[in-house]
Amino acid sequence: MKKGKITVIITIAIACFALATVMCMQFKIVKETDITSIETMREEELRTELANWKQMYKEAEEQYKEKESRLKEYKEKQQSSEETSKLIEKELGQTNMYLGKTNVQGPGIQIKIEDTNSDEIKPISAEDLLVIVDYLKLAGAEAISINEKRIINMSDIVYINNSIIYVNQERILSPYVIKAIGDPTNLESTLLGNGGYIELLRNIGFEADIEKDNKIAIPKYNKDIGYKYIK
Amino acid sequence: MTNKKTISLVFGIMCFALTVGICIQAKTVKKSSLVVSQNYEENNLRAEVLKYKERYDNLLKETERIENELQLEIEKATSNNSELEEAKNQINDGNKIIGLTEVSGSGVVIRVEDSDIDLVHDIDILKIVNELKNAGAEAISINEQRIILTTPIICGGNIITINGEKIGSPFEIKAIGLPETLANLSRPGGVLNNLEDERKIKVSIKKSNDITIPKYSGVLNFKYLSSTN
Repeated sequence: MKKGKITVIITIAIACFALATVMCMQFKIVKETDITSIETMREEELRTELANWKQMYKEAEEQYKEKESRLKEYKEKQQSSEETSKLIEKELGQTNMYLGKTNVQGPGIQIKIEDTNSDEIKPISAEDLLVIVDYLKLAGAEAISINEKRIINMSDIVYINNSIIYVNQERILSPYVIKAIGDPTNLESTLLGNGGYIELLRNIGFEADIEKDNKIAIPKYNKDIGYKYIK
Repeated sequence: MTNKKTISLVFGIMCFALTVGICIQAKTVKKSSLVVSQNYEENNLRAEVLKYKERYDNLLKETERIENELQLEIEKATSNNSELEEAKNQINDGNKIIGLTEVSGSGVVIRVEDSDIDLVHDIDILKIVNELKNAGAEAISINEQRIILTTPIICGGNIITINGEKIGSPFEIKAIGLPETLANLSRPGGVLNNLEDERKIKVSIKKSNDITIPKYSGVLNFKYLSSTN
């Protein structure tokens, strides 16, 4: 009788242990299938994602090489003060270029959109222009202007009284000419094709042209660029 | 006799529980192995993506190291020359505006969040950023990612990709400038007010005298343009 009881207890203990183990495994598997964003992506999305990262890596690599060679230049020319001052000047030139303080030139596209004469079609809004500029940034634009107003980091595109568009606090009127420097094919394809914003405007009834050009010239920002609040 | 019955009953229950456990287990394993074998290609792609992401991050770290060294060289080259010192100050000032250095100051922090009724879209964020610039913002970040000249905000839908990072609701937008002017974004009829009233998006804005906005951590390297003056 006593022996039987011990056997029963041992059996139950083993059973409990097995059960507990199984449950633990179970929980672990459920936990592992818990999702992070990349885990939930399908093949197609993953391919796009991979292409994006490859492109970003390539660009980072180019930047790295550029900085590396600049550093090398400084080290080589350390001895001559004349040479180093040239390097500093070059540095300042580049800073001004990123700020938008220089006239620039390069391959890119020119977009021309005109308001229609129809009363049924609302005129181009500040938001339309804002979205187009943002798409151009998405396609890697390095410089953008609207009606010769250079878009810089602090540029705004607003509608005053729902009728007049201001870029950099200056009034602009139709026809709108948007210029962008960058890879012309990329810049164009971001706005054309299915869902492209220029395509959408055309479908509404706007006249909208895009021209690729190897020599797009964009003027510098025509006011002072400064700051008062950042430290 | 009753003792035997109890033992049998206990055994019965134990066996049943165990069987159920094993069944669930077997089913889960079967399901997940099915998923794994089906998505072999996807897993490969996932691994590739992670590999590139890691390489990218490492490269940026390397770049930052070189950049620091470069700054030291510039410091050294300009230290004994008042004319160059002036140029260096201009470069440093410029970098603050471009977004290449961390900045702090007074401003506002805006928070917008999906509600049960509607979601925050990329275009909403684009409009808020545009309004902030109109109100004189000198530096802006979204969820700790600095917005610079080349940062696109639109990318379709309610997730924003900034510097390769996917950002979703809640969005925290920081801006440095005159707090009173920036806070004017919440005026009736303004972009924040519309989000709150018409779309029932959760919106908050608060002024602060102590805002820190990180430097841009991605790539800024122009390939197509050149200065002509």
